[in-house]
Amino acid sequence: MNGTYPQLEIEIRSERCNHCINAPCVRCCPTGASHFAEGGIVLVEHNKCIGCGACMASCPYDARYPHPDGYVDKCTFCIHRIKIGLAPACAAVCPTKCIYFGDLDDPNSDVSVVLKKRKSKTLIPEAGTKPQLYFLI
Amino acid sequence: MEEELLVSGRMNHLIDPQLNIWHWQIPLYLFLGGMAAGILCIAALYFIRGRENDYRTAVRITPFLAPFLLVIGLITLFIDLRHKLFFWQLYTNIRLQSPMSWGAWTLMVITPVSFIWCALHIKDIFPNWDWKFKWIYDIESFFNKYKKVLAWIMLIYGIILGIYTGILLSAFNARPLWNTSILGPLFLSSGLSAGAAATLILSKNKSERRQFARIDLVLIGIELFLIIHMFMGFLASTQVQIEAAKLFLGGPYTMSFWIFVVIMGMLIPALLEFMELGKFHIPAIVPAVLVIFGSLMLRFIIVYAGQVSRWLY
Ligand code: SF4
Ligand code: SF4
Repeated sequence: MNGTYPQLEIEIRSERCNHCINAPCVRCCPTGASHFAEGGIVLVEHNKCIGCGACMASCPYDARYPHPDGYVDKCTFCIHRIKIGLAPACAAVCPTKCIYFGDLDDPNSDVSVVLKKRKSKTLIPEAGTKPQLYFLI
Repeated sequence: MEEELLVSGRMNHLIDPQLNIWHWQIPLYLFLGGMAAGILCIAALYFIRGRENDYRTAVRITPFLAPFLLVIGLITLFIDLRHKLFFWQLYTNIRLQSPMSWGAWTLMVITPVSFIWCALHIKDIFPNWDWKFKWIYDIESFFNKYKKVLAWIMLIYGIILGIYTGILLSAFNARPLWNTSILGPLFLSSGLSAGAAATLILSKNKSERRQFARIDLVLIGIELFLIIHMFMGFLASTQVQIEAAKLFLGGPYTMSFWIFVVIMGMLIPALLEFMELGKFHIPAIVPAVLVIFGSLMLRFIIVYAGQVSRWLY
């Protein structure tokens, strides 16, 4: 929410981990639990994570949280669904179909096509993390 | 089918408006590590320079604190971990880009070194100490022969440890308040001054005490210089860092930072030490305790305030 009454603007974003290309959370993890999976998705290997919280402190988007079991967790882009050819749950259930998912390296994927057609932005690109989540504007 | 309760992310602006992961454990750990680093650096430096006899307490007695500080520090670090059973993963991985990994490995080197250093000087504390076994005496004479090498290792790893306590935080660009390279040298000098203060308390020798009061004065000067530069850097930087500086310039941490860290932890002890050097009689323990207190508060305030500072988007 921005501005002074009555000139207000509101932006509603569905936020999650940005699966950054230059991910500080992967860099600062002392055990290698935070890692890039094949295809660029950033994941946490639960049995390697010691729960030190360094990755949480390093994420400018506050995308991580401690799981009640102790390890630190985050959005996995539903990698378990992607592997069997399904869209991530958020994209699948969105009633207005406003979430697109796909391979940015593939010029014909849903995301690549919509990003070519529409204007978009990433969140705080100045943080240098190279986020891979684009918000259509 | 197994049902799973989904827990939503805590660090959500609507649930938890600020980062809330590091509590008392991490600042205490940084303080203990920093003070131990300071003590060991000073001991190693004076030993290497052959001043062992002039500064006997600093080289031979104060280091006995270091193993305790380091072990308590490791315990607090352990308490901080949320997935404790997997602690050993720290030591099956070396990750050069991760300050946390550097810290864990540095502690792995410097803690045993500090134990050895104390063992070599145990007779200074317990004059009748007997190692009982011949093989322990053999090990002792081995380390005595290479004491200089040991001192160099202690010095180098002490500096790494002292700087690391700051770099752990400054590596996080996500928290604008921490994201300044000044934190490394600032925490190193704060650790050194806490280490010097420990000798100031323990030493019974007047000229050694005077020397350490002088060292503390210089270190306090350096710290003040670094703090001023830190704020100058913040205020000349981007909006997020200006906001970070404002936490201390009118914001919620203003009073605690300037009163506990700068006035009580630096200016008053500096004044007292100055008076002490200039013939007034001040019990050395007063400025020394204040310096140690200031060094502890610096860690606490920076760690807590850093978690409030964030990117605006
Ligand atoms: S959004 Fe945060 S958790 Fe996700 S990859 Fe980027 S830095 Fe890591
Ligand atoms: S909390 Fe876990 S994933 Fe995060 S930095 Fe520590 S070990 Fe790595």
